[in-house]
Amino acid sequence: MQRGKIASPSKEHTMNRKRILLILTVLILGSLLSACSRGIAASSWPGLTVDGDTAYLAYGNQVHAVDISNGRPRWLFPQEVDNGLSFYNDPQLTEDGQLVIGAYNHVLFSLNPDTGQSNWQFAGARNRYIASPLTGDGAIYAPNADKFLYAVDLAGNLIWRVETDGEGWAKPVTDPSCDCIYMPSLDHKIYAFDAANGGLLWESGDLGGSVVGTPAYSEGILYVGSFNSEMLAIDSQDGSVIWRTPVEGWVWSGPQLVDGMLYFGDLNGNFYKMDASNGDEVWRITSAEMDGPITGSPLVQDGSIYIPTESGTLFAYDTEATPLWSQTVGGKLHTSPVAAGDAILVAPIDADALLVALTNEGAIRWSYTTAEQ
Amino acid sequence: MWDTIIINPMVNTLLWIYSVLGQNFGLSIIVFTILIRLLTYPLTASQLKSTQAMQEMQKSKKWLDMQKKYKDDKEKLAQEQMKLYQEMGVNPFGSCLPTIIQFPIIIGLYQGIIRALAVTPVQLLDLSRHVYPFIDAAVLIPLNNRFLWMDLALPEKDFGLAIAGIGIPVLAIFVVITTYLQSKLMTPPSTGGDQGANMSKAMNMYMPLFMGYLAYTFSSGLALYFVTSNLVGVLQYALMGRLDWRNLIPKRGSAAG
Repeated sequence: MQRGKIASPSKEHTMNRKRILLILTVLILGSLLSACSRGIAASSWPGLTVDGDTAYLAYGNQVHAVDISNGRPRWLFPQEVDNGLSFYNDPQLTEDGQLVIGAYNHVLFSLNPDTGQSNWQFAGARNRYIASPLTGDGAIYAPNADKFLYAVDLAGNLIWRVETDGEGWAKPVTDPSCDCIYMPSLDHKIYAFDAANGGLLWESGDLGGSVVGTPAYSEGILYVGSFNSEMLAIDSQDGSVIWRTPVEGWVWSGPQLVDGMLYFGDLNGNFYKMDASNGDEVWRITSAEMDGPITGSPLVQDGSIYIPTESGTLFAYDTEATPLWSQTVGGKLHTSPVAAGDAILVAPIDADALLVALTNEGAIRWSYTTAEQ
Repeated sequence: MWDTIIINPMVNTLLWIYSVLGQNFGLSIIVFTILIRLLTYPLTASQLKSTQAMQEMQKSKKWLDMQKKYKDDKEKLAQEQMKLYQEMGVNPFGSCLPTIIQFPIIIGLYQGIIRALAVTPVQLLDLSRHVYPFIDAAVLIPLNNRFLWMDLALPEKDFGLAIAGIGIPVLAIFVVITTYLQSKLMTPPSTGGDQGANMSKAMNMYMPLFMGYLAYTFSSGLALYFVTSNLVGVLQYALMGRLDWRNLIPKRGSAAG
């Protein structure tokens, strides 16, 4: 027994070497796998909403309220970074003045927009809130990656929930004239639900690809872009396809509908103006003129179109595709630009600034960075 | 480079198998794992051969005599051992190198599964750029990540299987059992004295627990790979005629347990 415990020096040396090798191997494997795990890198891009003189930016572990006149912070939620929380969609305001945002930890939060204090939390979902919720008529309609659409009242109580065949990544839309909710889904379909009880009104056929952008809606027609590299017009009465026009790449974001024209980009870096009445392409700015894929919806206002690209540039064109200016803010611009008074806000990722305000001539007015940066 | 050589081929192979196997990602992982085990079979065979050669050498009279003769001269013993390795054509690292070579495959597969399942916008955007032109990703996305009771994109700790209201990490338990089975069935009883036996015992004990922890913590698609890989490994070993079920039975009085 005693003899067995004494190993020869060379054997001991070999055993030590093997043990070190084993420990190293386990550590390397563990750390490499950990490095690949979720939660290390950002899972999405910022959500951005402007109301009055405040911009609400949801990115990573916190929601930021920023004064749009000077780029100074008003509050942070939560005040201390909580690694268990992450926010990546546009915060939405309810009719009674709550700021609602869904988090990746499966919780829907209601905040006081003036102070950033939490009003209530709805924890009934089982997966991430990737889409922004729709608010209106005393309710909040929040699609979730667990394939359910949740309707909660303004106190955070569940009114109803309805299951679909796919994850909801896009903010639903509603038609003011009908009590219905239109929700795109990753399962290649659009669903129409009764807003009062969640009853299914119709579901479209397979559109050929996932829809992750919020539809544009006008006069009974929904306009959606799909991963099948198409722009489609869908009849809001029954979900039938009115027209479909192929484009060059996957369409990530929803189109902007202005004066009967649709404006949108694709992942190949092309930008389109399309006639909403028939799907005819009016003009196209090719990827040779742009500098990267387009995931965000454009901002169209006062005869100008502002287009964000993944290469971190905001391009400005007029509605006849004449270039006005471009400004590279750095990082990647996946989020749609938002108008803030006479400024345009962009929220880059992988950049020094979290939020940048540009004048409508393209000059940088201010940049917002956190203390950590 | 890593993406081009390891991740992209894995992702696209997974997607291709998924498209021809009725769009079931669980089956896709299982078939892909079998393919990987077949492709790496030469490494497995070489590892087993080296381990066996090492075991036989350590049982040889020459080796045992050498241990006695030079037990007080560490340097000389090392030199003599090296000579014997060369004489008998045994590579002392032959049993561990193939294992280390397989690690990039495990890591690549994990990343490949995560990338293919694309559960967040950044991952989906990333996937859209790495799909080969012959695969119609627009039709395949979103992948069906449900398999049996599992959500292959989520770790088991997030969805769990509740039996009578009690959450049980079934998949992690399967990983622990199959890893233990594989290591016990494929590791010949140690003859290297107490140190070697303890080392072997520790590996047989901690490795399954470590793999079980990974299975419980990381996406269950990876755990499915572990279980399949372990079972295929045991099957391969059986087909080589080297499976010894007696290894599972603790030997009374044997330190190797």
